[in-house]
Amino acid sequence: MDYEALKEQWGEVEDRDGIRLSWNVFPSSRMEASRLVVPIGALYTPLKEKPDSPVLSFEPVTCKQPCRSVLNPFCQVDVRARLWICPFCLSRNPLPPHYRDITQNAIPPELHPSNTTIEYKLSRPAPSPPIFLYVVDTCQEEDSLAALKESLIMSLSLLPETALVGLVTYGTMANVHEIGYTECAKSYVFRGSKEYGAKQVQEMLGLSQPALRPGMPAQQGRPMTLGPASRFLLPVQQAEFQLTKALEQLQKDPWPVASDRRNLRCTGVALSVAVGLLESTFQNAGGRIMLFAGGPATEGPGTVVGPELREPIRSHHDIDRDNIKHYKKALKFYDNLSKRTAHNGHTIDIFAGCLDQVGLLEMKGLCNFTGGHMILTDSFTSSMFKQSFIRIFEKDANDNLLMGFNAVLEVLTTKELKVTGLIGHAVSLNKKSTSVGETECGIGNTCSWKMCGIDPNASYGIYFEIASQGGPAQHQQAPQQGMMQFLTYYQHSSGQFHLRVTTIARNLSGPAGDPAIAQSFDQEAAAVLMSRIAVFKAEVDDGPDVLRWVDRMLIRLCSRFADYRKDDPSSFRLDKNFTLYPQFMFHLRRSQFLQVFNNSPDETAFYRHVLNHEDVSNSLIMIQPTLDSYTFEQDGGQPVLLDSTSIQPTHILLLDTFFHILIFHGETIAEWRKAGYQEQEGYENFATLLEQPKEDARDLITDRFPLPRFIVCDHGGSQARFLLSKLNPSTTHTSGAGAYGGVGAQSAQTIFTDDVSLQTFMEHLMKLAVSGTN
Amino acid sequence: GGVAGLTSGFGSMQLGGGAAPVPGLQQQQTQQLPPQARAGPLNQLYPTDLLNQPFNVSELELPPPPIILPANTSVTPSPDANCAPKYVRSTLNAVPTTHSLLKKSKLPFALVIQPYGALHDLDDPVPVVQDQVISRCRRCRSYINPFVTFLDHGHRWRCNMCNLTNDVPQAFDWDAAAQKSVDRWQRHELNHAVVEFVAPQEYMVRPPQPLVYLFLFDVSYAAVSTGLLATSARTILDSLNRIPNADRRTRLGFIAVDSSLHYFAVPKDDEDNGETSMLVVSDLDEPFLPVPQELLVPLTECRANIENFLTKLPEMFVNNQSNGSCMGSALRAGHKLISPLGGKIVVLSASLPSVGYGKLEMREDKKLLGTSKENSLLQTANGFYKSFAVECSKNQVSIDMFLFSSQYQDVASLSNLPRYTGGQTWFYPGWNAGRAEDAIKFASEFSDYLSSEIGLEAVLRVRATTGLRMSTFYGNFFNRSSDLCAFPAFPRDQCYVVEVAIDENLTKGIVCLQTAVLHTTCNGERRIRVMTLALPTTTSLADVYASADQCAITTYFSHKAVERALSNGLDSARDLLQGKITELLQTFKKELAGGSMGGGLQFPTNLRGLPALFLGLIKHVGLRKSAQIPSDLRSAALDLLSTLPLPLLMQYIYPRMYSLHDMPDNAGIPDPETSHIVLPPPLNLSSERFVPYGLYLIDDTQTQFLWVGRDAVPQLLADVFGVEDRTLLHVGKATLPELDNDFNERVRAVVQKSRDHKSRGVGSIVVPHLYIVREDGEPSLKLWAQTLLVEDRADQGMSFQQWMGNLREKVV
Ligand SMILES: [Zn+2]
Ligand SMILES: [Zn+2]
Repeated sequence: MDYEALKEQWGEVEDRDGIRLSWNVFPSSRMEASRLVVPIGALYTPLKEKPDSPVLSFEPVTCKQPCRSVLNPFCQVDVRARLWICPFCLSRNPLPPHYRDITQNAIPPELHPSNTTIEYKLSRPAPSPPIFLYVVDTCQEEDSLAALKESLIMSLSLLPETALVGLVTYGTMANVHEIGYTECAKSYVFRGSKEYGAKQVQEMLGLSQPALRPGMPAQQGRPMTLGPASRFLLPVQQAEFQLTKALEQLQKDPWPVASDRRNLRCTGVALSVAVGLLESTFQNAGGRIMLFAGGPATEGPGTVVGPELREPIRSHHDIDRDNIKHYKKALKFYDNLSKRTAHNGHTIDIFAGCLDQVGLLEMKGLCNFTGGHMILTDSFTSSMFKQSFIRIFEKDANDNLLMGFNAVLEVLTTKELKVTGLIGHAVSLNKKSTSVGETECGIGNTCSWKMCGIDPNASYGIYFEIASQGGPAQHQQAPQQGMMQFLTYYQHSSGQFHLRVTTIARNLSGPAGDPAIAQSFDQEAAAVLMSRIAVFKAEVDDGPDVLRWVDRMLIRLCSRFADYRKDDPSSFRLDKNFTLYPQFMFHLRRSQFLQVFNNSPDETAFYRHVLNHEDVSNSLIMIQPTLDSYTFEQDGGQPVLLDSTSIQPTHILLLDTFFHILIFHGETIAEWRKAGYQEQEGYENFATLLEQPKEDARDLITDRFPLPRFIVCDHGGSQARFLLSKLNPSTTHTSGAGAYGGVGAQSAQTIFTDDVSLQTFMEHLMKLAVSGTN
Repeated sequence: GGVAGLTSGFGSMQLGGGAAPVPGLQQQQTQQLPPQARAGPLNQLYPTDLLNQPFNVSELELPPPPIILPANTSVTPSPDANCAPKYVRSTLNAVPTTHSLLKKSKLPFALVIQPYGALHDLDDPVPVVQDQVISRCRRCRSYINPFVTFLDHGHRWRCNMCNLTNDVPQAFDWDAAAQKSVDRWQRHELNHAVVEFVAPQEYMVRPPQPLVYLFLFDVSYAAVSTGLLATSARTILDSLNRIPNADRRTRLGFIAVDSSLHYFAVPKDDEDNGETSMLVVSDLDEPFLPVPQELLVPLTECRANIENFLTKLPEMFVNNQSNGSCMGSALRAGHKLISPLGGKIVVLSASLPSVGYGKLEMREDKKLLGTSKENSLLQTANGFYKSFAVECSKNQVSIDMFLFSSQYQDVASLSNLPRYTGGQTWFYPGWNAGRAEDAIKFASEFSDYLSSEIGLEAVLRVRATTGLRMSTFYGNFFNRSSDLCAFPAFPRDQCYVVEVAIDENLTKGIVCLQTAVLHTTCNGERRIRVMTLALPTTTSLADVYASADQCAITTYFSHKAVERALSNGLDSARDLLQGKITELLQTFKKELAGGSMGGGLQFPTNLRGLPALFLGLIKHVGLRKSAQIPSDLRSAALDLLSTLPLPLLMQYIYPRMYSLHDMPDNAGIPDPETSHIVLPPPLNLSSERFVPYGLYLIDDTQTQFLWVGRDAVPQLLADVFGVEDRTLLHVGKATLPELDNDFNERVRAVVQKSRDHKSRGVGSIVVPHLYIVREDGEPSLKLWAQTLLVEDRADQGMSFQQWMGNLREKVV
């Protein structure tokens, strides 16, 4: 099969199973596997929307303990003996009585070859409707607070009527609003400067008191089943009025702030109180704590920056130089809180609405460990916030929220494969099984992970190793297959638990040097899987070390799979399914994921967070932005090289970095636009040209989460730097005559940078790859 | 003759001008003597035999022995030149010139100071010097008063305390503003011993503070279920117009307390977001305020919101199940809230503070009562209560406790807060709003409490003629330095005792003692109330005894006994009293009765009540030996024994008893001249006075008993109570029905008149409970009423006869 056909096949698999593999043929020996350089990995989107697939409303047929694999199309079924053989543990299991009528023509859906991914609606109900606890910073300017209040009030109408809602507000102190109390506005106040333990929070909110005094009649009309927590967390339909009122009456933090000081903002206390509230009342019931931060924590545990304005908030340089007062303490505080929250089965989302940093770097674990969203915006007045926030509450065709809670993802493998880890927004459940490998990649040493929050786009990088020492058994006639089964149990927002099962099987390679392996390389999936590893490493290692690792892996991959004569760079050739990979790595090296110094630590945390959430195609946009060009010569946008040569005076460019969507008017276009030709009769074609990229940008935005920042700029404008920073500097101020003699056209933009160009990068790569010293 | 003869004798005597002679004494005509000469002769000594001519209760109503000063001692001939006994009473109205004479007399020299005669200025006005001209001695800082001397053609005055000559302010003779001369002799401070000065700027360390009331409501299950919260809220709501707020600066704050603190942020009436919000703080470690404003709000600007809040408050906690109380933490939080301004913290609690700061234990054990271990129960269980009270005093915060628990509440510990901050402990054992009498009593008292015009940021100091020194101070305040008593709030229903030491021989004929109370009125005016008392001096022990004031002496010993009870225990306090009365009788016998008394027990006529009063004290619920008295009840009684104004204290120690069934025709109806209700003649407290068909009122100012004899005739019952039969008579707390008959009206008038504090020249909020007691009814109630019969023998207490016999034996 040629590359295009393979690509199509992989696309179909992705549509059906939500999975892309770096290698679609598995090496049959450990030795072979180690030479692949890029590990066997899967980028898996467990809850990928499958609107056309039926949900089975019965319990799955499972293999015996401890295997517990689920019956799937790859199982051998002996109809007469009423048995099925588990491909993972090879056990023979009886078919349940009602499967006795199976024939070749009448097989149950889970055995149908096309149902390699299937979803069960289990009988186990969710412990409670989904919970939404808003944690709102009141240290904000009036307009920003007003906008936030409006968004929050509006969001109540987006929640299912039975969803439980609650409100915590904070500033100098943290207030837990008792929205179940109707006599007057009532809140519990926690000192902002103090760390409160879980038990304290519980006691202080009166959650540990017995519900009733002995001998007292039960209060009529109070849902006692929810216990004392019903004072703080109520069904939307019941609490909407009270909560709306509480939100409407929210005032700016009333404590005075001196002109040389920041607001006292006890984000840490507010979060730990919110976590404590859910912890004591709704452990392991699906719920989100949604933090709306208008600035950094300046008070109490989790302080990110001191209250004095003359103390600046930490930068990457400060962290690099270890010139950081609060960082380690805050990080430890939030990480502990993250672990607690994840343990309790709750999700934390962070919405930052602030031009400055709010401490996402320190707080990132809250989202990353719990599967929460992280949205970084300039202000709560921005449409970026408003629309991203709304999008969280999107619903499916059955009017159920597109979010799952308390998911457990378990991976089963056949004996050849072992799972080495997961990179994504999850925590380990520390489950050992025969599927767990010896090495560790990402969150490893387990076959099971917990995602307190999960959504249809949430994608996880899962990595594998090959266990077997030798080749496949010689006596096998048919090519042997390696199999994986992904079992995702989760609380569906409809109120039942669901189980999504994806089972995949891939051929194991033949004798050593089997070319099938190289042909099965999915360079896109591989690039994304490698990017996740690189970012995972960057979180703990020094930046330069990670860059060297990326280079080394690339060179080794090219050495292994390119066609060349030793020590002859000019003979270097890559197969079609490898050719883009070096470019991806080139752009990854230059990306904000690994080059942090042009961004704030909060931005870095945000970008990395998003990368770890998206599927292959979105991730690729982040790694290597797309660039389209619009001219009079052609209809619609044409993809062009992400290269400085693409900047032309009569072209409009549309750049999509995933986080930014930028329309750039070339020099001439910009002049015409300034002159207002688009509004004059006879220049309709110019107006149309100007509209085209805008329309395409609108299309891009439709499904994008979080909403990207939209920039329109002209040649020479200051905003153009966003574009320039992404372009391959093929024409830099140091490339000298090359700018005229090489690939660049005369009018190409010169980029003032010391970065190497793709061309230089490739030259080095070829030289090193063929030298055979790797 | 005997007692009946004596009492009937009073009526015929012309007693006038507040200086009435005791029976058998004729006021001596004094000759004109030069100023500074000794007065004399002074009151004459009339010994009587206590055994043959026993004391009669009506003697306690008599004024003290007159203060006989040399003529022209005061600079004006004003009848008010010397301080009336209503404000300041000396135990000795003739002062020994030497310490040794005082010591020999065994009598105490002390002042009983009651600066206010009513809860409101209107009911007890004193002259106010408005012009802010305050002339004070440069050396001893005494205020100019009627007993100074003018020299140098009236340009200078000589201080009657330290003898320094001072300039007379020009303003005494010349009104600069009006450009005309004025008559200095019209000045209040030269005509009245009791005056109030409006103080100028120099008397303020900061602008006058506004009146601040911070209410700490117990909202635990106990407080809600007994109706305390609802009644408190309702009473405040109904009393908002009565709370002094003439300057429109009065501020109120509210904190509800169970095991958490509930703050209330009350917005101003004109604010859009005008809803009161409740802020709950359960972190009791270190008090903090949940919001920076709206917790202590101006009554005027937030009136409507406060009314709304108070209306809703009971409903807010109607389902509260909490039975914890963090009142100690609440007090600290309240202190934090109001200490920048100062003010009153009003605690309304039905619980023992069980969590947070100042946490207390249920430490009372019935087995300890009546033993020596009982004493520790009267002492504070937690050092917090004293140290915190002292901190409050420093920040001008005063605390009043209204306590309602039906169980042990540790009044002993809690009462420290009022004791050191110029406050008071009000105790309502077993109170329940479900009983109309309880609800009405508290609501009425609390409302009067809120209406009272209290002073703020006050200090009291007594200055005296050289040679005298104020040595010890008794009462509810904090003794900030050797002679300065600090009152964050100055109440109008308490009295204070100051013991005076004679350090140097007194050479002059008179001595002066000047009490000054610097305070801020609740209308934001800084003022000084000055009370100057002049007393003659004497070298004669007989003069000293003849001018001794038995009521003032008893007041002094009441305070002293309370102090002793708290420090050394109840036995020690009773021993002190018994020892003291014995010593006085012995001293009198030895020094003044020539050592022999025949078979009698001689004592001056003017002190004849002393043995009965001391017996009353020893048998008082606060001090008597008994294994039946809960320590909370005792502690509350000890508080009253050390704070009540003298007229009420005397009655608290030796209650009034009236026979109603046979009251004279003029009793129970208004006196035609004064239009005041006439009370029947009081009876000594002995059941011998009872006839079985009788109806009696026994009243100790805190509780009234209507005693119905076992043979009470049906007509009496029908007339008074509206019941046909004795068995239908409801005993216990009651309100007399208003029936359409003359006798019912008269009985009610007597009961009412007996509660009339105003006519007795004292401020008090107390409305005593009325209990109906049937001689043949509920035994415990009957026993309780009988404990007030001081002259009867009871349980572990002697009868008056035994007591006198006992004393006689000791006075050998
Ligand atoms: Zn199996
Ligand atoms: Zn003087």
